[in-house]
Amino acid sequence: MKKLLRTALLLAGATMATQAFAEGDKIREIKITTRPQAAQPQEFQFVQLIAQEWRKLGLDVKVDVMPWEQMADLVWYNRDKWDTTGWQMVGRPERSDPDELIYNLFHSSTAPKGYNFIGYSNPELDATVEAQRIETDPEKRQELLYKAQSILAEDQPNLMLVHPKSTFAFDKNVWDPATVVDQGGIGIKNTWSFISMEPLGEQKDIILNSSDNIQGINPLWISGGTDSWITELIWDRLLRIGPDGLPKPWAAESYNWIDEKTIEVVLRDGMMWHDGKPVTADDVKFSFEAAMGDEVPMYKPFVSNIESITTDGNKITFKLVNPTAAFLTASLAKLNIIPKHIWEPVLADLATKEDNAEDYQETTPIGSGPYKFVSWTTNEEVVLEANKDHFSPPKAERWILRIVPNTEAAIGMLRSGEINFLADFSGDPKILLDLVEQDGDLEVVSTIDMGFRYVAFNNRRPPFNDPEFRKALSYAINRDLIVGAAFRGFAVKSNSVISPALGFWHNEGVNDFKTGTDVAKSHLEKAGYTVKGGALHYPDGVKETLAE
Amino acid sequence: MLWAVATILFLMFRLMPSNPLAAYIDPTFTVEQQAALMAKFGLDRPLWEQYFIYLWNLLQGELGDSFFYRQPVGTRVLELLPNTLILTFSSLIIAYTFGIIVGAWLAWKRDTFAERAAIPLVLTTRALPEFWLGMLLLALFSFTLGWFPAGGTRSPGSEYASYFALYTSRDFLSHLVLPAMTLAIYSQGLPLLLMRSNMLEVMNEDFVTMARIKGLSSWTVVVRHAARNALLPVMTSFAIAVGYQIQGNVVVETVFSWPGLGRELVNAVSASDYPLAQGAFLMIAVVVVLMNLLADLLYTLLDPRISHA
Amino acid sequence: MRSATAEPANTGNPVMRVLRKIRLPLDDPFAVVGLLIYAVFFLVAIFADQLATHDPLEILFDKDYQLAADLRPLEDGFVLGTTSLGRDIYSQLIYGSRSALLIGLTAAFMVAVIGTVVGLLSGYFGGWIDILLMRAADIAFGIPFLPFVIVLAAFLEPSIWNVVLAMALILWRDTGRVIRSQVLTLRTRAYIDAARVSGSSDLKIVFRHIAPNILPLSFLYGSIAIGWAILTEAAISFLGFGDPETISWGYMLQDAYASQALSQGGYYWFVPPGICIVLVVVAGFFISRGYEEILFPKLKE
Repeated sequence: MKKLLRTALLLAGATMATQAFAEGDKIREIKITTRPQAAQPQEFQFVQLIAQEWRKLGLDVKVDVMPWEQMADLVWYNRDKWDTTGWQMVGRPERSDPDELIYNLFHSSTAPKGYNFIGYSNPELDATVEAQRIETDPEKRQELLYKAQSILAEDQPNLMLVHPKSTFAFDKNVWDPATVVDQGGIGIKNTWSFISMEPLGEQKDIILNSSDNIQGINPLWISGGTDSWITELIWDRLLRIGPDGLPKPWAAESYNWIDEKTIEVVLRDGMMWHDGKPVTADDVKFSFEAAMGDEVPMYKPFVSNIESITTDGNKITFKLVNPTAAFLTASLAKLNIIPKHIWEPVLADLATKEDNAEDYQETTPIGSGPYKFVSWTTNEEVVLEANKDHFSPPKAERWILRIVPNTEAAIGMLRSGEINFLADFSGDPKILLDLVEQDGDLEVVSTIDMGFRYVAFNNRRPPFNDPEFRKALSYAINRDLIVGAAFRGFAVKSNSVISPALGFWHNEGVNDFKTGTDVAKSHLEKAGYTVKGGALHYPDGVKETLAE
Repeated sequence: MLWAVATILFLMFRLMPSNPLAAYIDPTFTVEQQAALMAKFGLDRPLWEQYFIYLWNLLQGELGDSFFYRQPVGTRVLELLPNTLILTFSSLIIAYTFGIIVGAWLAWKRDTFAERAAIPLVLTTRALPEFWLGMLLLALFSFTLGWFPAGGTRSPGSEYASYFALYTSRDFLSHLVLPAMTLAIYSQGLPLLLMRSNMLEVMNEDFVTMARIKGLSSWTVVVRHAARNALLPVMTSFAIAVGYQIQGNVVVETVFSWPGLGRELVNAVSASDYPLAQGAFLMIAVVVVLMNLLADLLYTLLDPRISHA
Repeated sequence: MRSATAEPANTGNPVMRVLRKIRLPLDDPFAVVGLLIYAVFFLVAIFADQLATHDPLEILFDKDYQLAADLRPLEDGFVLGTTSLGRDIYSQLIYGSRSALLIGLTAAFMVAVIGTVVGLLSGYFGGWIDILLMRAADIAFGIPFLPFVIVLAAFLEPSIWNVVLAMALILWRDTGRVIRSQVLTLRTRAYIDAARVSGSSDLKIVFRHIAPNILPLSFLYGSIAIGWAILTEAAISFLGFGDPETISWGYMLQDAYASQALSQGGYYWFVPPGICIVLVVVAGFFISRGYEEILFPKLKE
C-alpha cells in the first residue's frame, strides 16, 4: 500500500518531491583499524566481531589491520583521516585519580594535538571537567564527575567496551599467597607485592617474565611499560599510590596542606642512596627542579604547576600556581627522587649538548629504593637485589626479570619453575585457570583493571559527527558477547572511562542500556537513516562528503 | 658490495610510509619537542643529505643511535652477535657431523631398503617450518618431559666470571640444546645429500675400485678412500650454509627467547627503529658476504679447474 | 621460407615442443608421489568452495548466540574443531591450499622466469650485460633473504604477495647463475654455431635453440622455489607480518600460536597446517629430485 502511494506520488510530481526531500546518500565504506592478532589478540577479536555486527545494519565495513606504529601515526598525526579504531588505555597507578582520563580524553582543548584525538567537543563537558579539577571537597567533586560521566554516556563519543581484568599467576609453593598484594585496578604485579612477598622455601628470588625488551633504566625517562616496573623498585618517590588507589606517604614521613596552594612535606630520616650517601631534602628539591628544567621533557608536565620549592632541614615546601586536586597523585607520587651528586654534573653536561636526560644511561643506576641494581643483559634479563637497609626492606633476596617474547614459553617456564611469577600474559586467561587444575602449585589472580578497551569514533568525520549515529553503532554491540568472546569472561562491561576499580568516582548509573541489532536499527530509523537495497543511507538531505 | 647492500637498506627504510617518531607518542610531547627530535635524528634534512651522512658514518663504523633504546646501535648489535654466531655454528657443526657420517653410510648402503627409506625422510626434514618444529620440540622436551629449559641462554640471575666460563658452562649448553637441535634438524639435509652424491661419484673412480681389488673391506674403502675425497666439496658448502643459517635464525630465536641479532631485527622493524634495524641487517649481511667470499675462495683453492679471470 | 615448412615436420608445434622439453620426470617414483600430492592439493584448491563447510573467516555462533570457540574435533559437527575466535579449522585448512598454491606457483614462476632470462642474457651475450647482471646477482647474494622479506613486509601492506615480491627480487640469483653456466657450455656446441652461420638472429638462437635445453633446469629451480615460498610465508606470518585477512597455513599456525593452542593441547589446530606445509614442500623437493636425475643421470647409476 505504502509502496503504491509512493509510486503515485513519484508519478505525480517526481521532480518537486526530490527537490524538497533530497534523499540521503549511501554511507561510504567505513574503516575500522586494529593492531595485528599476534600483538593484540583481544583487540583483533573484538574488532572482527564489531565489524560483523555493524554489517548487519547495512554498513559496508572494512577492517584495516596495521602494526601499532602505523596505527598510532594514522590516529594521532592524521586526525582527520580515520573513521574508527580499536584503542586501549592502560591502567597506571597515577591514573588512580580520575582527572587524567576524563579531562585529557574529552576536554576540547586537547583535541588539536593532545589526547582528545577523537575530536570530541561539548562545552557542557568542558565546564564540568574544569570544575572537578580544582574542587578539593571529595563529595562535591564526586558529583561533578558523576555528571561528566552522564554527559559522555549520552553523547557516546566512543564505543566503550570493557575494563579487562589483569591476570597474573605465581607459584604458591615458592611465595606465601597471603603476602601477595592485590592492588585495586592494577593487580598483583605491583611494587607492594615485590616488597612483601615472603618466600616459603629455598627459592628466594622473584623471577618474572616480560615479553618486551627493556628500553632503558632511567629515573628521568618514561619509556616502555616494563621499564617502569624496574624504576619503581630502584627509586623512591615522596608518595606512593597504595593498594587502595590512594596516595600514601612513602619517602615522605608526612605531608600537610598549609593552604590550597601550599603543601609541606617532611622527608623520612635515615634514608641512604645505594652508594652509601644519605638522601637529603636537597636531593628532593633537585629532583623536582630537574624536571622543571629543559633536559627532562617527559616529566615536565607533571611539575608545570609548581611555582617554587624551598627546603628547611628535612622539610620541603611546594608552592603551586593553581590549586589542584590531583597534585598528590600526579606529581608527588609520580616523580622519582634522584641523587643530586650523580645527576647534577650529568644534567649540566647534557645542557651543552643536543641530547637530553632520556639519552643517558647510567652503567650502575643508583637510587634509594627497596631494590638495588645488579646487572642488565641485553634482551635477556635484569637482576636487582634486595636493599636490606631500606625502611621497607623486601622479603625476597633478588628480583630477576626475564625477557620471554614467546607466551607459550612463558607458560612452560612458569610450570617448570624457570620463572615463579607470571607478570606479563597477553593470552587467554582461561588457559591459566586450566593450568591451575592440572598443576596445583599455581595461583592465578584476576583484578579489574582501571584501564579500558574501546572503539574510538572520529567525531570530526560524518557520519560519526552525529551522536545518534554513534549511539546506534554503540547499541549494536552486545557487551556480554565481547566480554565472553574476546575476553573469555576476564573483563567487566564498561560505559565509563572511570573504572569500577575506582569505586568512589565510578558512576554506576551509566551502565544500564539495551543492546542488539534491533535496538540499533530502530534507533537509526528514528534518527532518519534509511536502508535501501541493503545499504544504509544518510537521513534525507545529507550528502556523503568523504567518499573516495 | 656492502656499499650496494647499505644503499638498498637506506632507501628501503627511508621510503617507509610510517612516521618514525610515531613510536614515541606521548601526551606530553609538544610540537617543538617533536621538531627537536626530528632534528636530532637528522630526519628534517633532505634525503640525499641524510644518505651521505649515513654513508660517511658507516665508513667510520658509526651505526648511529637507536630511536627506541637511545643507545648506540653498534654496542647493542655487537653484544648480540656472539649469541647468534654461537647458535649458528653449533647447530651447523652438529648438522655437518651428522650429515657427513650418515651421508657416507647411505652411499655405502646404496639401493638398500634403509637408503630408500632415508632419502624421503631427509627431504621431509628440509620441508619442516623451523618455528613449527621448534614449538613441537619445546612442547615435548621442555614442557612435557622437562629435560631442557624453555628459553634464554642461562639460568635466571646466574653470573659467570668471563664469556668463556659462560659459554662452556653446563647451564649455557643445556639452554643451547633445543634451539641448536631445531636448526640442526633443518640443516643436516644439505651436507647429507651432498656427501652421499659425492661418495657415489667417487666410489666409481678407479682408485676405489683398485682398493677394493686389493681386498680391503668395503667399509674401510669407504672411510679411507672415498670419504676423504668426497669430503672436500661438502666442507666448502659449510661457509655458504653459515650465510644461509644466520638469516634463518630469526624465527628460532623468537621461539626460544634467544637474545640474538635476528630477534633484534624483528623488534626493530616492528618499532620502526631504522638505525637499529639497519645495524642488525648490515651485521647479518656482513656475515653472509664474508662467508660467500670464503666459500668462493675455498672453491678456487680446492678445485683447480675453476680459474678466476 | 624453407625453415618455415621444415619446422612442423621436425619438431611439432611449439607448445608440444616445450612440453616435451620439460620432461615431467615420470619414471622416478618419488617424483610421481610429488606430482600426486600436487594433484590432490590442486583439486582441493579448485573445489575449495564445495569441500569447505564454512566461510573460513566467519565468526560462528551456536544456537544460544554464544561464540562457537575452541571446540574440539567433531564437536557440534566441526570436523577439526574451531579456533579461539570461533572459526572453522577444517574450512581454513581447505582454503589454505589456495593461498599456498597461489604463493608457491607464482613465486616459482617469477624465480624461474627471471632467473632464466638473466641466465640466458648473461650467458649468451656476455660482455657488459654479463658483468652487470652478475654484479646484480652478487649483490642479491649479499642480502639476507628472510630479514629482507621482514623489512619489505613491514613497510608494505600486509599481504601474501610480499613474499612473492621478495622472492622475485632476490631469489632469481641462484637460478640465474646456474643457467648462465649451462648456457656457457651450450654456446660452444656445434649446432649453435651452425645456426649462427645459417644466419639466425641472436634472439632466435637464444629462444629456439638454447632456451628449450635449459627448461628442465628452470623447472628444477622452480619446484624448489615453491617450497621456499610456502615456508617463507609461514615464517613471516609467524613473526606477525602476515596478512590476517587471507587464510594461509602460515596464518593458521600463527593464529594457533597466538592463541596458545599448544598450552591448551590443541594439537588438532596446530598440527594439520604444519603437515600440509610439509607435504606440499616435500612434493616440490621430490619433483626436483626427479629433474636432477634427468639432468645429472650419473647420480642414478
